[in-house]
Amino acid sequence: MSDPDVLGKENKKVVLLGNEAIARGALEAGMGLSACYPGTPSSEVGITLSSVAKKQGFYFEWSTNEKVAFEVCAGASYSGVRSLTALKHFGLNVASDSVFPVVFTGVRGGLVIMVADDPLGHSSAQSEQDTRFYARMGKIPTLEPSNVQEAKDFTKLAFDISEKYEIPVILRTTTLVSHSAGTVKLGKIKKPKTKGKFVKDYDRFYNIRPNLQKMHANLIKKLERIENEYEKLNTVEGNGRIGIITSGVSYQYVKELGNLLGVKIGKLSLTHPISRNFVANFIKNLEKVIVVEELEPIVENFVRGVAKDVNPGVEIHGKDILPRVGEYTPDILLEALSPILNIKKPDFSKHEANLKKIKLPVRKPVFCPGCPHRSTFYAVKKVLGENVVWAGDIGCYVLGIFEPFKMQDFVISMGASMGVTHGIKKVSDQKVVVFIGDSTFFHAGMPGLVNIKTHGTKPLVIIMDNGITAMTGHQPHPGSSFTGMGEKRIPMKIEDIVKSFGIKNVRVVNAFNQKELQSVIREFSKQDELGVIISRGLCTLLMKRMVRAKGGQFSTFEIAPGKSHRVSRLVKEFACPAIIKKGDEVYIKEDMCWGCGVCSQLVEKGVIVPRKRRKK
Amino acid sequence: MTYNVLLTGVGGEGVLMTSVIVARAANIEGYEVRGTQFHGLAQRGGSIPTQIRFGKKIYSPMIPRAQADLILGLEPIEAARACFYASKERTNFIVDTYPVKPVYLNLLGHIYPSNEEIRRMITPFAKKSIFVDASNICEEKFGNPIYGNVMAIGVALSSGMLPLSKKSVMKSIKETVPGRAIRVNMTAFDMGLKFKG
Ligand SMILES: Cc1ncc(C[n+]2csc(CCOP(=O)(O)OP(=O)(O)O)c2C)c(N)n1
Ligand code: SF4
Ligand code: SF4
Repeated sequence: MSDPDVLGKENKKVVLLGNEAIARGALEAGMGLSACYPGTPSSEVGITLSSVAKKQGFYFEWSTNEKVAFEVCAGASYSGVRSLTALKHFGLNVASDSVFPVVFTGVRGGLVIMVADDPLGHSSAQSEQDTRFYARMGKIPTLEPSNVQEAKDFTKLAFDISEKYEIPVILRTTTLVSHSAGTVKLGKIKKPKTKGKFVKDYDRFYNIRPNLQKMHANLIKKLERIENEYEKLNTVEGNGRIGIITSGVSYQYVKELGNLLGVKIGKLSLTHPISRNFVANFIKNLEKVIVVEELEPIVENFVRGVAKDVNPGVEIHGKDILPRVGEYTPDILLEALSPILNIKKPDFSKHEANLKKIKLPVRKPVFCPGCPHRSTFYAVKKVLGENVVWAGDIGCYVLGIFEPFKMQDFVISMGASMGVTHGIKKVSDQKVVVFIGDSTFFHAGMPGLVNIKTHGTKPLVIIMDNGITAMTGHQPHPGSSFTGMGEKRIPMKIEDIVKSFGIKNVRVVNAFNQKELQSVIREFSKQDELGVIISRGLCTLLMKRMVRAKGGQFSTFEIAPGKSHRVSRLVKEFACPAIIKKGDEVYIKEDMCWGCGVCSQLVEKGVIVPRKRRKK
Repeated sequence: MTYNVLLTGVGGEGVLMTSVIVARAANIEGYEVRGTQFHGLAQRGGSIPTQIRFGKKIYSPMIPRAQADLILGLEPIEAARACFYASKERTNFIVDTYPVKPVYLNLLGHIYPSNEEIRRMITPFAKKSIFVDASNICEEKFGNPIYGNVMAIGVALSSGMLPLSKKSVMKSIKETVPGRAIRVNMTAFDMGLKFKG
């Protein structure tokens, strides 16, 4: 679960994260370029590749957004170099406009699109989404690993299929594959091929009619050949008149039910195109078949279609007994399948009753101590009060949705704050404030701001510039001072970009300076103009890690003796986790304070002061 | 044999590294290992329950209901929150009594339960439970409560609640923690091994 493991020797058994195993699979496939945009639960693929790229001699970048990342991979692949992009499901929404045509043109070097779905939304607020629909809409072959070993092996296989059939291949995971750990037997790392050449080819790349229809027909043929050749990836275990068809991590939950007598299990590894032949043979002699798949009934509907021809009498279950929303667990399967499979289910009624007796305080995620976003939200609320529409966006700052701020009235998708705000402003006179992060600004916020400027509405835009893509684990963006290869670069300045749009009211403020923040917000809010405030302050978690890595220390703050009562309002209004209330006493917990000093600016002078004693 | 460990605590407490130590030690002993929630993004201040399963052959990365063998609670209320996975027939608890109070306590007027209340909550789910002041002891000894995690692993070994050898855990610590922290972690582990609860 670290670089030495990821780079381990052939045949060694190590424990890897699903996403690390995918990165290893790419190394074993000789991948020469990878371009990604982070998104949980896919980010560790890029994080791992980024950390070993230099050493292994391939190219890695964190691109501006997923569409660009995919296009970069397509360019490499058109030129004969194997490439991989890893993204979360919403990332594929962004990339899809380019993915579909590349499936038509086909590729040269193997091109793998790793997509991580997140049923239950462990780390995705926006919506629940099933990527397998994209596979169908875009005619993209899709492999679905069910555990960490397969995550590695299927990645390598995906490159081979992609190159052999000259078509991008999706490797689809879910959170419980990407973020699960497991024993992996390593294969051999292949020296990356990093240089290629783009060779012109009218027939292949001119996707204009009538060539387009020729390409489409060719694509359909490719899929048929893939369906036939890779039927062998699907497996059958057991024997009986009841069958279970499943894929991905759901397969592991089915196996967890124990030794099922009289039950046959069919596991699909290639979930697009699904092999019709495989399904037909599997269900031919069955009395009942249960399809176990998270989210949408895609395999189930396919099985129903095949059953009409080969076994119309078979009883088919799927979403009638299993949920269509959220994530599956071994327990959900046990509950749903035990009546059909005749498994004895433990009686959990007492267990349930005892669980009900446990009442615990909630623990929601919060901004880190010393986070620049907390300071910005506080200042905005202090100056503008409550009667404002708060346009939210995607990043650590969504945590502003919770108490004590509640300053994200809607959160849609990356960059959406801008467009939605413009729409509200066009039809209403309400005051609207946009909160958008720096990475999100580069990703999809810029077109929205250009649109605001060019169509003349006047919201107050606050760009929360913490120098990094924080929420997904601190990946650099164009405004950061280093690249995905770990090299230094000159960061792009957001203020220069915004000014170049012709916006006059642009100001950079120090996110850790309340006086400056509040006075600029006051000034801008009085003007009847589009205003952009760039609240700049490095992500404290990142800064803290950098300081620690160099063996340095940072100063912390404490409450002066006898002044505790003057701080108690901050516990509720500011909610820095380091400021703690114990009975009537309020104190700053030394090992939690990251020394931003903002709290000291919110009380009278001399109440919160730099801590004198140094740590031992 | 399948052995199911649930390790839980609060983001920033080093839960992840502790889980990696256990997972690696099991790998060193030649078990197949599976687990969940092993990602680097500790939810900022949120709870992180990681699960580690090891044995000859493991399928689901997730522990089924009531089948945990050990719940290692690095924070008291998080230990109690994990009771879904526990049962009197099967589950031992080791609870670090060092509270990390949620910020929302103050905001929402919730009350943090006492150790006695936590004990009462988990009793119907516990074969045996050990409450240990590991983080506090480590804070006093090393100036940082974070080593309490490794001390808790030591307690798990010496009490027979975690069937892994001392040797493989030590090897795993060496492979997992940064070089300069190996010595303190070894000392903390040793303190756990000698703990009499
Ligand atoms: C299309 C899409 N890609 C990726 C993500 C995942 N994602 C969630 S928050 C975030 C980071 C945003 O970074 P930034 O705007 O700089 O805010 P910060 O977290 O640094 O405060 C990303 C990439 C997503 N939700 N949607
Ligand atoms: S990771 Fe950085 S930006 Fe995110 S909450 Fe923590 S300090 Fe704030
Ligand atoms: S200085 Fe104040 S606001 Fe900043 S981290 Fe410390 S206690 Fe929190």
